[in-house]
Amino acid sequence: MQQQQQQQSQQPAPKKKKIRVPRSVNGIEQMVEIEVDDVNGPGWGPNDKHVLLNHPMTRVDGPQKVSGAAKYTYDQHPKNMLYGRILRCPHAHARVVNLDTSGAEKIPGVAAVIKGPLSELRFAGAPVAAVAAKTPEIAGDALRAIVVKYEVLPHVVKANAAVAEGAPKVVEPSDEANLQKKASRGDLAKVEAAFGSADAIVEAEYISQRIHHTCLETHGLTVDYSGGDSATVYASTQGTFTIPGDAAKALELPESAVTSVVQHMGGGFGSKFGIGIEGMLACKLSKQTKTPVKLMLTRYDEFVMAGNRSGSWQKLKGGVKNDGTLVAFQARQYRLGGVGQGSQAGQPYIYAAGESYREIFALHTNEDSSIAMRAPGHPQASFAIESLMDELAYKIKMDPVAFRKKNLTDKAYHRQLDRGAQAIGWDKRNPIAGGNPGPFKRGMGCAVGTWGGGGNNQCKVDVTISRDGSVLVAVGTQDLGTGTRTFTRAIVAEEFGLQLADIKEEIGNSKLGGANQSGGSTTAASLSPSVKDGAIKARLAFSERVAPLLNNAKPEEITFSGGNVSGGGKTLTWKQACATLPAAGVTARGEWRQDLQATGIHGAAFAEVEVDVETGHIKPIKMVHVQDGGLPLNRLALESQINGGMIQSLGQALWEGRVMDADLGMQVNPHFGDYKLPGSLEIPEMIPIIDDGDTREVVIGIAEGCIIPSLGAVVNAVFNACGVRVRELPITPDRILMGLKNQS
Amino acid sequence: MKKSDDEKKNQKRSHDPGRRSFLKGVSIAGAGAAVVDKLWIETEAREKKTAEPQIVSGSVKIVLDINGIKRSVEVEPRTTLLNTLRNHLDPALTGSKLVCDMGTCGACTVLLDGKPAYSCMVLAVDAVNRKITTVEGLGSPDNLNAVQAAFVQHDALMCGFCTPGFVTTISAYLKKNPNPSLAEVREACKGNFCRCGTYPRVFEAALAAAKSNKKV
Repeated sequence: MQQQQQQQSQQPAPKKKKIRVPRSVNGIEQMVEIEVDDVNGPGWGPNDKHVLLNHPMTRVDGPQKVSGAAKYTYDQHPKNMLYGRILRCPHAHARVVNLDTSGAEKIPGVAAVIKGPLSELRFAGAPVAAVAAKTPEIAGDALRAIVVKYEVLPHVVKANAAVAEGAPKVVEPSDEANLQKKASRGDLAKVEAAFGSADAIVEAEYISQRIHHTCLETHGLTVDYSGGDSATVYASTQGTFTIPGDAAKALELPESAVTSVVQHMGGGFGSKFGIGIEGMLACKLSKQTKTPVKLMLTRYDEFVMAGNRSGSWQKLKGGVKNDGTLVAFQARQYRLGGVGQGSQAGQPYIYAAGESYREIFALHTNEDSSIAMRAPGHPQASFAIESLMDELAYKIKMDPVAFRKKNLTDKAYHRQLDRGAQAIGWDKRNPIAGGNPGPFKRGMGCAVGTWGGGGNNQCKVDVTISRDGSVLVAVGTQDLGTGTRTFTRAIVAEEFGLQLADIKEEIGNSKLGGANQSGGSTTAASLSPSVKDGAIKARLAFSERVAPLLNNAKPEEITFSGGNVSGGGKTLTWKQACATLPAAGVTARGEWRQDLQATGIHGAAFAEVEVDVETGHIKPIKMVHVQDGGLPLNRLALESQINGGMIQSLGQALWEGRVMDADLGMQVNPHFGDYKLPGSLEIPEMIPIIDDGDTREVVIGIAEGCIIPSLGAVVNAVFNACGVRVRELPITPDRILMGLKNQS
Repeated sequence: MKKSDDEKKNQKRSHDPGRRSFLKGVSIAGAGAAVVDKLWIETEAREKKTAEPQIVSGSVKIVLDINGIKRSVEVEPRTTLLNTLRNHLDPALTGSKLVCDMGTCGACTVLLDGKPAYSCMVLAVDAVNRKITTVEGLGSPDNLNAVQAAFVQHDALMCGFCTPGFVTTISAYLKKNPNPSLAEVREACKGNFCRCGTYPRVFEAALAAAKSNKKV
């Protein structure tokens, strides 16, 4: 590692302010007022001056995860634990007339059978009953022994059938339509006039399928409760603090008596907040049996009731001038959220149109509710608008990159489009769609995307320096696999001039300092300012304490670097300096600081694919994603996340999709055998690029940003390759072949 | 049930019950016939045994050789090796993950006599007398094997739930092929799924592990 730079001392004549920091006097903790630089306190400093941050760091929990030592919720096993399972409704719409659980209750090893919470079941897979048994096998026996008599009601699972006259009604109240208008924006008359001035117009319908999060660790809880007045709930969740309230209600305990623990979790992607119906049932089973219960959804359960990304059906119309200017735009957007509301960003998404008008509707079917999934509503909107923009560019024979720049005012996109074009080799692209020879035709496409990624004021972080030189940073937040533990350590280590291994972190426990739930890329920007603030306060308090040994140097002028503490012309090692601390050490609580984070990110994606026009098979060749996000906390983990966004996007573009049988109203591919995930043979060359052209000295979350534009880039690459515009996802070989047939 | 009989019977098993090897057989040209032959031979072999088939019910006590240690455990005949490792052993071995429970995702991969197998597709009673290696047996956080160390170094993991399966599969593969190409690595781990999207770095890590001085 390079010698640490001292950023604070380089600032010319800094402003001063007084802050209160904790300080131990004769072993008694008290707050003292000290003077520090700057209005807001020290910032992050320039992005290229960090020693640990903005460098590649291997994740600190890596050794535990690669050796099987990391304990997930699924791996918890309190003594005498029972296994919970849920019985599901096989009909898309039904009422339970009779539930006979007597057979199940008689099976040795079955501890409890309880009824589900719903009176009317509106989708196949809705929970009907739950059991707890001594082994998972016996729990399965119990489900098979429950006899349910259903009154089967009419259903509809296809969007076009749900809007037809006389379609069965899906949601309450029963006289409310399946298609409900939710919002509109713009002046239709002005848009119609603007279309009159356009040189070229494209009008088309785009459909994106419903896909599944397919978290490898399914949803669920391990409830450690054996009667008595307190419980520990291990949860596979994105929100440690979303668990105790609901769990306490179901366990009939005070909220403060329930501790939630989230040490490691196996994927959430937006789907894991709160305890869910499965968590509520797990708590009730535990309460009734006074025995710990683990209830993790089976893979089938996960498909049929753990949510999905809402589908979309978008009717778009765009009008452009010959110079590429988008002058008129109109959209009719249907959110396909099953019994839920669905989600979809408003069109024309990130593009500026001279005049635009949009209407957004929720379209209900008898399917499990959609729930948030990584960048809710954005990939759907991006896929449709980027397809339409591409169609318009081809229509006026303009380069798609130049066309996008023409309609994007933010220069960050221009920079990223240029960078991405260079990385994919855009200059080698044949501008004529399907223009390359041979049956294996290659093509390239591009798209752009945006997200917020800002934080909020919820994280309370305790930083403790002990007399033996150890440092602990503690906060109740959770690490979803995004590298939260690692950057939390790194921020503190850098502040103290130490290495990652010198710091220990404690997270994932609701008894620690509060933290926000990890949704919408908010974790980094919520947590890291509080960690930084805690580290700064601890450093200053420590400096106060050690100053007498450093010729009474001013606390804010004492420097921490390379494992040394220096000031007043003297240098102590970290351990020597810590030896001056009282037995309790020094603890500071970090609070969120708005100035250390920001919101607003940009991304540009490029894809190259090869289409076999004889079979319709698509082979991804190369993908590039350029992403900004202020200060990159950990370049290694950040690039991994960009890769992940590209791969999940690729899955939606080419393979994934929930397939429903219209007559039965059931999903026909609720398992990994038939739900096609991206696998090792399909992964193209991938180039994740961190956009260092963004010099903002703030932390911004990027997880959502990197799943948005690749979808459009792949779709547009397929068109460039073979000349077939597929407007319904996924782009399966049959759709390519049908398109080629219609062309000829 | 007499344990000695059980052990003898299991010693005679020579086929790999994993779905992976079954599929591998099917994918060879003309393998349909080969598979039928194999099934026929086994059926015939079973029928030739004059002893009456044993009906096993309730639970049975078996001894499994896991990571070089003999572990005694009581299971039902229908209990999978995966559920035995995770739920019946005390202390449990939870490195192998339950994800699909139908032999599609590879998160439960263990080694049976050095060969990768989906432990969700193997009955515990069928694993008697075989050397079982789980991810915990490959290395510990303080003493990682070459593949585990390379996974950390190349950030070949995010949520980490698929990671034990990939590590186990690749560790076995590098023993078979110590100097693989990228294409061979992809082929070797096509039976493992990752949802976070770590594939590019899994490939990098596998290739780096092959070149490392550490033990696989």
